[in-house]
Amino acid sequence: MMLVPCPNCGPRNASDLRYVGESHSRPNPNEVTPQEWRTYLYMQDNPAGLLKETWYCRSGCRQYFTALRNTSTNEFTNHPLPGNKTGAVDPSFHYVSESKSDTNDGASS
Amino acid sequence: MSEFASSVVKTYNETASSSLTLSDLSATTKAIVRAGQGTDAAAGLGAPFGTSRVVDGTLVVGVRPTEWVVLGPAEAVWAFTDAIDNTGHVSKIDFTHSRALFRLTGEDAPKVMEKICSIDWADAMMPDSAVVSASVAKVSCDIIRNDVDGTRSYFIMSDRSSAQYLFDAILDAGEEFKLGVTRA
Ligand SMILES: [Zn+2]
Repeated sequence: MMLVPCPNCGPRNASDLRYVGESHSRPNPNEVTPQEWRTYLYMQDNPAGLLKETWYCRSGCRQYFTALRNTSTNEFTNHPLPGNKTGAVDPSFHYVSESKSDTNDGASS
Repeated sequence: MSEFASSVVKTYNETASSSLTLSDLSATTKAIVRAGQGTDAAAGLGAPFGTSRVVDGTLVVGVRPTEWVVLGPAEAVWAFTDAIDNTGHVSKIDFTHSRALFRLTGEDAPKVMEKICSIDWADAMMPDSAVVSASVAKVSCDIIRNDVDGTRSYFIMSDRSSAQYLFDAILDAGEEFKLGVTRA
């Protein structure tokens, strides 16, 4: 089971949420080239490490939120308040599970 | 507005002696109130997300950060919701007919819930009057702890279209704890 820390509901089974995808800022469709728009829609960074991503708490609070996850360890290091899909990560919130705190590289702030 | 008296589940044999019971309370009047942050309505409802409170014969339930459910007898629910301030982003809807409402009561109720829902039902996480939304047997539900005379009790609210399946799934999970059906 993978625990996802919803800022409203607390840690929840990932099956209670929907993974929306990597969190990228949306370019202005009237100003970008087709190539840039396609890159925004389809291209992924897919790093082995920290990734900022969007989750939807579909069975809980029904809010979107941004989370910072280490894709190698599934460790969530922190996340901002809901609704802030692309903004800066809130450094005041720091979620680390006790068992794996040594694997958290703390690169979020 | 008159009471909707139909049950959403088929007829079951009542179990008179069980200390763990499930009942169908779907006929209960349910209103949904949405109120944006900062509105007088949101402040006046007074049950923040994840909590519930009894007000004027109704149960006010904070089911989402900006959404409440009001349960109770029809007259009390409408008297309460009519009095809510309408200023700003506020809406009130009767959704009695779209949701099913069950009550699971008994000291073993958390053991039944543990089998079909991944929430931590310990007192520290889910005290009396706490509210949580989660999937129960794969059905999205709002669950309200509402103890009856000191005995554990949960309201379980789901979409009406899933009601029969959910009722049977809870009964199945409760079989080993001798869960019985009672009339509301
Ligand atoms: Zn949530």
